[in-house]
Amino acid sequence: MNAEPGRMQYFEDVEIGTGRETASRTLSKDEIIEFAREFDPQPFHLDEAAAKQSLYGGLIASGWHTASVMMRLLVDTFVGRTASIGSPGFDNLRWLKPVRPGDTIRARSVCIEKTPSKSRPDLGSVKFHTEVFNQRDEVVMSLTSIGLYLKRPAQHN
Amino acid sequence: MAKRYFEDFHVGQVIEMGPRTVSREEIIRFAEKFDPQPFHIDETAAKATMFGGLIASGWHTMSMCMRMMVDGFISESASLGSAGIDELRWLKPVRPGDSLSLTMEVTETLPSKSKPDRGTVKSSYRMRNQKGELVMTLKGTGMFSRRAGAAA
Repeated sequence: MNAEPGRMQYFEDVEIGTGRETASRTLSKDEIIEFAREFDPQPFHLDEAAAKQSLYGGLIASGWHTASVMMRLLVDTFVGRTASIGSPGFDNLRWLKPVRPGDTIRARSVCIEKTPSKSRPDLGSVKFHTEVFNQRDEVVMSLTSIGLYLKRPAQHN
Repeated sequence: MAKRYFEDFHVGQVIEMGPRTVSREEIIRFAEKFDPQPFHIDETAAKATMFGGLIASGWHTMSMCMRMMVDGFISESASLGSAGIDELRWLKPVRPGDSLSLTMEVTETLPSKSKPDRGTVKSSYRMRNQKGELVMTLKGTGMFSRRAGAAA
C-alpha cells in the first residue's frame, strides 16, 4: 500500500451517502479510434464516414473505452488513498448517452451499501453508485460497482 | 453477406469464441493507460501483493472479451450497439500467457415495443482460461436490427 496507514480510508471510513468526484479527461478522435481498432472494431467506433450513416450520426467511443477511462480517473484520484484491494465486479452498467470526440468526462461515486465479510473478518464489501458525466453534466454511463476494502488494522485504532 | 439479424437469435443458442492469448506486454500496456495499479504494471511489486504476480486489469479482460464478441459474431450481425451489462464478475485473475475462450448463450429475445425495426438480445457469457477455470462471467444485452419487413 502506498499511502501512510493513518491517512488511508478503510472499510470503516467509507460513509454511506458520501460522494467522491474524480478529475476530468477529454477524449480525442485518435484515442477513440485507437481503442476501437484494438478492442471494439465496429464501424461507429472506427470510421467517421460510416458512423455518420449509423443511428449515432457520428463517431462515438466504445462503451468499454468510456469504462476504461473512468477506471483511470478513479485510480488517479483514489488509489493509494483507499484500502481497496480489488473488485469482484459490477452490476447494472448502462451506457446512457454516446461519448463523442472532444467530450470531457469525469466520474462521481456515492457509497450506497456496506457489508462486512462473513468469511473474512479483515474485509468488507462496499457498493458504489458511480456515474460518468460529460462537459454538459449529462450522465453518459452509470453502474453499481463493488469494492473489497480492508478493515482498519487493530493497531491503528 | 449473410448477416445475423434479431430474428436469427433464439433462446438457448450457443456461440463459442476465441481462444485469445494475452501477453505480458499487452497487460502492462493496457494498465499503463487505464489502470496503473502495481499488480497490473510492475512484475516485482505484483509478486508482493495478494495476487502473487502480474494480473490483467479486469477492464482489459472485458475489452478483450469485447473483441472476441466482435470477431465472433457482432461484425457479421446487424448490431446497433448495447444499452449495458446487467452483471459482471471477475472470478479469477488473468495472467500473462493465459489463453481465453468465451461461450455465449442467448437467454432472452425481446422485440422492441416502441421501435418495430429492432430488438434486444440478452445473453449470458462465460470466459474460461486454458485450464478450463472460469475467469469472468457477464450478462449482456445487445440491440439488433430486424430483418427488413419482419415487423410489418
